[in-house]
Amino acid sequence: MSSTAPDMGRRDGSFEREPARRVFASELRECRYQFKVGEDEKSPTFVLLPTGERSNRIFVSGTLTEKTRQGEQNIFYRGRVIDPTGTFFIMAGSYQPEAMQQLAKIETPAFVAVTGKPNLYQKPDGSFLVSVRVEAITVVDKETRDLWVLDTAAHTLDRLDALATGTSPDIVKAKEQYPTLDPAVYRKIVYDALAQIKM
Amino acid sequence: MDYSEATERISRKFKKSGNEIDREKVEGKLRRLIEEFGVQPAEAERSVSNELTKEFNIQPAGPQGSPGAGGATGEKVIADARPGDWVTLVGKVVSLAAPASPAIAQSGILADESGAIRFVVWTKSNAPKMKEGTWYRIESAVVDEYKNIPNLKVHSGTTITEIDKTDPLIPAPSPVKELRPGIGSVRAKVIQEWDATHDRMLQSGLLGDETGTVKFVIWKEQGKEKLAVGSVYSIFYAQVDEFNERLSLNITSATIMQEDGDIATATGGDVVVRGAIVHIAPGSGIIKRCPVEGCNRALSRQNYCPIHEIQPKFVYDLRIKGWLDDGEKTHNLLLKRDVVEALTGINLDQAKEIAENNPLGMDEVFLQMREKVLGRYVACKGREIENRLLVNTCERMHFESGEHAKLLNRAGGVP
Repeated sequence: MSSTAPDMGRRDGSFEREPARRVFASELRECRYQFKVGEDEKSPTFVLLPTGERSNRIFVSGTLTEKTRQGEQNIFYRGRVIDPTGTFFIMAGSYQPEAMQQLAKIETPAFVAVTGKPNLYQKPDGSFLVSVRVEAITVVDKETRDLWVLDTAAHTLDRLDALATGTSPDIVKAKEQYPTLDPAVYRKIVYDALAQIKM
Repeated sequence: MDYSEATERISRKFKKSGNEIDREKVEGKLRRLIEEFGVQPAEAERSVSNELTKEFNIQPAGPQGSPGAGGATGEKVIADARPGDWVTLVGKVVSLAAPASPAIAQSGILADESGAIRFVVWTKSNAPKMKEGTWYRIESAVVDEYKNIPNLKVHSGTTITEIDKTDPLIPAPSPVKELRPGIGSVRAKVIQEWDATHDRMLQSGLLGDETGTVKFVIWKEQGKEKLAVGSVYSIFYAQVDEFNERLSLNITSATIMQEDGDIATATGGDVVVRGAIVHIAPGSGIIKRCPVEGCNRALSRQNYCPIHEIQPKFVYDLRIKGWLDDGEKTHNLLLKRDVVEALTGINLDQAKEIAENNPLGMDEVFLQMREKVLGRYVACKGREIENRLLVNTCERMHFESGEHAKLLNRAGGVP
């Protein structure tokens, strides 16, 4: 296998892999602030989640409803992954050959689990798009998707609790960047997501 | 045997300087020295008393009279020798190591009651050869630092005189947690043995006592023997190195005594990590290992072992390396064969069958296992060592309606 992702390059001992945050589609969609830590070309890029946490990587599980092949010379795949709250836009190109092959093979619709890096783009019309560059994607069962909803609900609630009282740099920045954010709305999103899981 | 009398004497001695001793601890130390190490009672009492002197930071009222005169080449006890000092030390050569270069005539460890220090005798110094087990007075040597460890340098201006002293030295083992770079002694159990990562390495692994664990290494030298996993050893005068803020014990030239009995070790406790497997690393699936006894390294595709070269009679094994992510932290995972078999439902024989008959060979096993594991929620139980979780059991997590209800309440409740 030749899938040594660039982030696997381990600098002796000091390397710590960025954790994959758990975030619902409807929260990720609201990201408007992206920043870099360090000056290096390879320094990690983060999007700031409205609930007050930076994210360089996310882990999501949902239903892959469609995928399209695009490009002539540089083939890449786009896909849509649906969670109970909205849609994740995922893509895998020739820089992620393993991920692209995995995505290409999957027959839609299917429950999938995706690990990837969120990126914030501004479209020519001025609107924003958060797209997820896939590092790994696999077909999973419904139970995994349900576990993800619980997991993501718990993490989102944790972030909301911290947002109410916390003073971390990310929380301060989030309040500055997303001044109209209403925590009650996100709490409702979490509730609705959970309510969609049938017992 | 009753140690209360000796303890009482020690207690009285320290009361004079206003210090209160921990009787239980002192008695325990005496008992260990006498019963486990066969030290004479009088010597044990002296040794414990000296240790306390150091602990309470009292200047020893030695026959030399005024210590701490602090002259340029003042006579010091080893524990007080600091990098940059010109010193005169009286100590016993407790071990000699094979010189690493022709420029070095001798190197080893010099100890006194207060502690121990590494020394190096330069070939150019024309110093007389010192013998292991003999006491010397080393006048006008320099203390410097080598790899953050104090080091005594014997140069051409140093005078070495053998002195007539036969005092046995019993270093007090320190708890593993309290080891510091330099020279240290421990009483610990061999918890694990690891694959040798170097040709010249005889053995490496993990030592532990009830306070913690530390990596150890023995380099190949004449007469060196491996330690037995599960046995307890007293290790005197080991070199404590620091690398990336992690300590490691080089015990190649240490004095090692195997002991009877067992001690409790800080297992670090088995940790349980729950999360999603977000990456399966290359080198997972079915692998080939070097069949040479004690090697067991993973072979390359061409059956090449970094040490033993081509090994056509390799042994198959299963493993999974990857990352487990709980949303806050990512844990590097290593799953052994039985854990892999239980998690993937593919056993070694089936994997062999696939590897030998499928056109993709070993890659097919990797792909099939990845399909079954990647993106799944699991609970892994194991030991975290050097940032890697060595997994003993790994089970798929299941949906719990109780958890679901709790979260619904939490989300619906007024914050």
